[in-house]
Amino acid sequence: MSDDSVPLALPLPRLAAGSAEVTALYRELSKPLRRYLVCLGLTSDEAQDVVQDAFLSLQRHLASGGDQENIRGWVFRVAHNLARNRQTSYHRRFGETLDEGKDFPAADATPEQVVLEKEKLRRFAAAIRSLTTSERGCLLLRAGGLRYREIGEVLGIATSTVGDTVERAMKKLAEKCNV
Amino acid sequence: MCDAKAKLVAWLDRELTPDDASTVERHVEGCHECRRWVATYERMSKTFDAYCDAVMAAKAPRRARWAPVLVGALIAAAAVCLAFLRTRVVPPTVIDPRAALGSAAVPELPLATQPILHKPMIRRRRPAPHIRELATQEQPMDAAIQIAIPAEAMFPPGAVPNGISFIADLRIAPDGSVKQVRLRQ
Repeated sequence: MSDDSVPLALPLPRLAAGSAEVTALYRELSKPLRRYLVCLGLTSDEAQDVVQDAFLSLQRHLASGGDQENIRGWVFRVAHNLARNRQTSYHRRFGETLDEGKDFPAADATPEQVVLEKEKLRRFAAAIRSLTTSERGCLLLRAGGLRYREIGEVLGIATSTVGDTVERAMKKLAEKCNV
Repeated sequence: MCDAKAKLVAWLDRELTPDDASTVERHVEGCHECRRWVATYERMSKTFDAYCDAVMAAKAPRRARWAPVLVGALIAAAAVCLAFLRTRVVPPTVIDPRAALGSAAVPELPLATQPILHKPMIRRRRPAPHIRELATQEQPMDAAIQIAIPAEAMFPPGAVPNGISFIADLRIAPDGSVKQVRLRQ
């Protein structure tokens, strides 16, 4: 596993608080960040608040001349910690990434396809619930587009551990529901 | 089991060093099982993305979904109110009996001189249960017969326009005589 992961999809020069680059970073990250937070268990409104707070923290961080290496991982880590602070019961809320009876909308699909898709996602959700918190976190951050090194920084684990965890989680999912 | 199998996801995620990546790539080209696992992991990643999108869509605020319905309902209500306001209320036409009868010789008496006495509204109450029972027992055998009575037979000539008849229900007693005549409204 390489420790020097590819930097960022967005070429980031030195950022300054309130600069156009920060705005571009917000545009790039706000959706995957919200998706990550919602999958962690926050409501849509809570996720939006956390994203706003994370970028306010980024402004302060940049204004105070903070470290700019791996800024995406930094934003995700701040948002992750803010989300944790918002939870009244971390394990209870973070455990329920998906409700059993949650309705999965599928656009442009026949009723049969909708039913099949819902069933598939329901089985997948059950398989995800069976993962450990670390495995689930790694997969969610990976789906958010983060590199293994960034994931490691958000979750506070080594990059090699991220690789092993992602591999193990994917294998578990494949065995539980081969989609 | 292949050694490369433990690195397949990292290879897909481009997280391997160039040397490791080319080694795994060469292996996958010749290993049927690893190719199958690569396809499975790719499908899994797509499904995971779909799962995340579905969770996000399911938790989206529902207010927005009701907004168009609410707007539609308000527009419909406004349209109904407008339609009622624009409807003209046409008063009922009162036909003057003299005009209806033409210039035929009509005695002066009926409608102009004698005020029409309105039948007072009588509120009918339901009889007590024991009276209802008696009433049902009382109705027995006589059947109701409907007849048409020409107006001339009941009113003085000219009081009612020609050709008007009244419908009445006849109640016949068991012996064949008329027991009751009741005009229908």
